[in-house]
Amino acid sequence: MTPMFATQLFALAALLFALAAFIARRQATVRRALPVDRSPAKGDAQRGVLYAFTLGMAPWAKESTRLHPVAYLRGIAFHVGIFAALGACALSLWWETFPPFMRGAFAIVIGFGALMGLAGEAMRWTEANLRALSTADDHASVWALTVFMAATSAALIIPAGLPIMYITAGAMLIYAPLSKIRHCIYFFFSRRFFGVFIGRRAVLHTAPQGLSRGLK
Amino acid sequence: MTTTTIETALQVLEKQLNQPLEAALEVCARCGLCAEACHYYQAEPSPENVPATKGEQLRGVYRSEHDFLSRIFPAWTGAEKLTEEKLAAMAEMAFSQCTLCRRCTFNCPMGVDTPLMMRTIRAMASATGNAPEILVMLADAAIEKGNDPSFFRDMFVEQMADLEKELQAETGDPEARITVDRPGAKVLYVPLAGTHTILPPAIIFEAAHEDWTLSIFEAANYGVFLADTAKAKQIAARIVNEAKALGVEEVVLAECGHAYAALRWEAPNWFGETFPFKVVSLIEKMDQYITEGRIKLDPTANAERVTYHDSCNMARTGGVIEEPRRVLKAATLNFIEMTPNKAEAWCCGGGGGLVALPEYNERRLKAGGPKAEQIRRTGAQVVVAACENCRLQIGDLSRHYGLPVEITALADLVVKAMRLPTTSDHMQAIFESDKAKVKVARN
Repeated sequence: MTPMFATQLFALAALLFALAAFIARRQATVRRALPVDRSPAKGDAQRGVLYAFTLGMAPWAKESTRLHPVAYLRGIAFHVGIFAALGACALSLWWETFPPFMRGAFAIVIGFGALMGLAGEAMRWTEANLRALSTADDHASVWALTVFMAATSAALIIPAGLPIMYITAGAMLIYAPLSKIRHCIYFFFSRRFFGVFIGRRAVLHTAPQGLSRGLK
Repeated sequence: MTTTTIETALQVLEKQLNQPLEAALEVCARCGLCAEACHYYQAEPSPENVPATKGEQLRGVYRSEHDFLSRIFPAWTGAEKLTEEKLAAMAEMAFSQCTLCRRCTFNCPMGVDTPLMMRTIRAMASATGNAPEILVMLADAAIEKGNDPSFFRDMFVEQMADLEKELQAETGDPEARITVDRPGAKVLYVPLAGTHTILPPAIIFEAAHEDWTLSIFEAANYGVFLADTAKAKQIAARIVNEAKALGVEEVVLAECGHAYAALRWEAPNWFGETFPFKVVSLIEKMDQYITEGRIKLDPTANAERVTYHDSCNMARTGGVIEEPRRVLKAATLNFIEMTPNKAEAWCCGGGGGLVALPEYNERRLKAGGPKAEQIRRTGAQVVVAACENCRLQIGDLSRHYGLPVEITALADLVVKAMRLPTTSDHMQAIFESDKAKVKVARN
């Protein structure tokens, strides 16, 4: 067994563990009660959900992101980097068939994501609120993802770094379902509940007159 | 407190741990973007006033019970076993440092429902005797009143007979009536304590030729503030059963934020049924009358600069946002919006039952700072609020921060714009007298 193959196996095993753990988590949450809302709707729940996952995520949609566009963009770049790195890692066996500019583009996006991870970690230490709020798990989660992105970006440029990428991917994937990183699955629950709330109650989208009084 | 207390609190947490609550407990990335959305943080920018930090109080307990890594290495994730001291501190925080206004939720990239977590803590506190006594007493008194309404019914009917004379004098209509619990009426109006929430709506209903009757109960529901669903349901049951017995088509609630959120949006879920009647706010009803041309208003009667405060329960929680604006545009000449407004409006700081808790007065007034500043910037002479608690709080803010404003309900402005045949000076005196009584009772 070559070192490369061993690290690939490790990453694959970690991926299977992460997928199984995430699915188990999701199922455990789905098994919990989902309250049935019996109050007559004023607006459209589906419209609210659509908004929550689209325009509701836009930087201008919330006062908080309007006030802190840099923090918002840092977060976006960080998460884009994570998903690009996961995609790149999954396709790593076929990298040689990629045109050089494509590998370069991936390396830049993922590398920038890693830099944004470092920036995020710096913010957690320097900003008083974040410092007070952060747990060791928060720091470890950011580091796990940042190191994984950095290794993936480097491996895209220097193929000899592939084993390191697989090791960091494996470590991150094992840690993910045990840690704060698992918020990725709850994002979908939370935004959907928020969307249903604002949609049914017509909080952000005014119901037509008449409907607004629940009279029709 | 004993181990049983902790067990009881944890049982409440387990019982409430449904999908929305678990999502709220798990999804926070602790990015801190919610900080400036909170009026407590605005008033006092410290880490403990960041909504995410408040949520961490419950998250720590949840993790210690439900998270694999936290059970092995609690310090790593900030997990913390529930203790008597921690429960007391959590209760204090949930009742005094959060008005359940939802502003943080709307500003969170994840949509973390921090008010849901605060309500869970309140429920844990209520179940273990850690809730503020005044709120418990007010809720219990309302339940008691529902158990035996005959005790005060005659007195109430007598009072309404006197008020009916006022109504006739105000409208110049000797046929104007205030009936109490009249079977067959289409509309059941549920007031708050004090005739200032009865006479103006009565005038409006009469002008709109509404087939209405008056509830003997009050719309307020202190069980909601306690997050005690059993009590909240008992309090709501008084009105629900009354409406069913009378066979009304519609229940119209006085201008009261939490009462609206409770009966319109929550109560059907407590009872597990969709009610056979509609629940609307007086605001929506006035909007309907104006839209249908059933009441005519002269906006020149309200020529002062008027601004509107969005009650969190009416707007962010209730979706009643455009209706009061349509009414204000019809009833006033010089309406100016606060900035921000509607779903982004600042909480006045009096919500979540805070206005009834004198022990937190200082904190409450401080937290109302952003709202006071908003009001000041409008240059308005009149502040309209569609919620009694908001009106009380803004009244306190106006005195504390020296705001030269008059605070009023929307119905009062509508009545003024109706240009009644008689002078409204007498009615104004009634409003003022009632407001004073409410203030005294509260203090």
